[in-house]
Amino acid sequence: MAVSAGFKNDLLAAIPSLRAFAMSLSQNADKADDLVQETLVKAWDKHQSFQMGTNLKAWLFTILRNEFYSQMRKRGREVQDSDGIMTARLAVHPSQHGVLDLEDFRIALEKLPDDQREAVILIGASGFSYEEAAEICGCAVGTIKSRVSRARSRLQDMLEIAGEDDFGPDAIAAQVMGSNAA
Amino acid sequence: MNIMTNDMGGAGDKRARTGGSKTLGANSEIGRKLKQYYDGLVSEDVPDRFAELLSRLEQAESAQKKD
Repeated sequence: MAVSAGFKNDLLAAIPSLRAFAMSLSQNADKADDLVQETLVKAWDKHQSFQMGTNLKAWLFTILRNEFYSQMRKRGREVQDSDGIMTARLAVHPSQHGVLDLEDFRIALEKLPDDQREAVILIGASGFSYEEAAEICGCAVGTIKSRVSRARSRLQDMLEIAGEDDFGPDAIAAQVMGSNAA
Repeated sequence: MNIMTNDMGGAGDKRARTGGSKTLGANSEIGRKLKQYYDGLVSEDVPDRFAELLSRLEQAESAQKKD
């Protein structure tokens, strides 16, 4: 059966998201575009295994993610174990108003272990549910939740921002005063 | 200091955009920056090579069908 024109158009429409996800994973524009290309070829070949009416974007993200990790293994790069990695505190200080520079944020994100970065991207940026993210990553929902928590806490730590929701501006101000006041 | 339990986002939504996931708190600086970072990537121009690739795949398939 031929791949329907509809499927091709759906793939085209998914490319911007796939590139964003690939960039988030690989942190490298050339590698990201290679990943997207591989993903499109594989999706085309496997289109019969895709069930119409299910989530195409999640299916494509799964293919892309598998491709990313299999390329990393081929290159002999160890898949990172998030528990074994210490993230260095960045010398990044939010401005007076607590607004982070996007570039600082990107650097901090890059320093996250791969599994935490992908979790936080899938949940916090790509709009997937915990269930979908767990399916994409081939792990339990609870695992995704804990990766997201650890990622957020590491990001907050690296960027030296406190949990605003817990403390509010006054508590943050008090902390700043406490640690910096002469 | 417990910074891992603000998932449920009880603390009001400030002036946050709520388009994204509730989970990372659209009301947190991290949540906002994450969206900003990702949206920037999504809105980048897509090189022509991908559309060309799909067209080649499509042509290859219709050529195969004629055999």
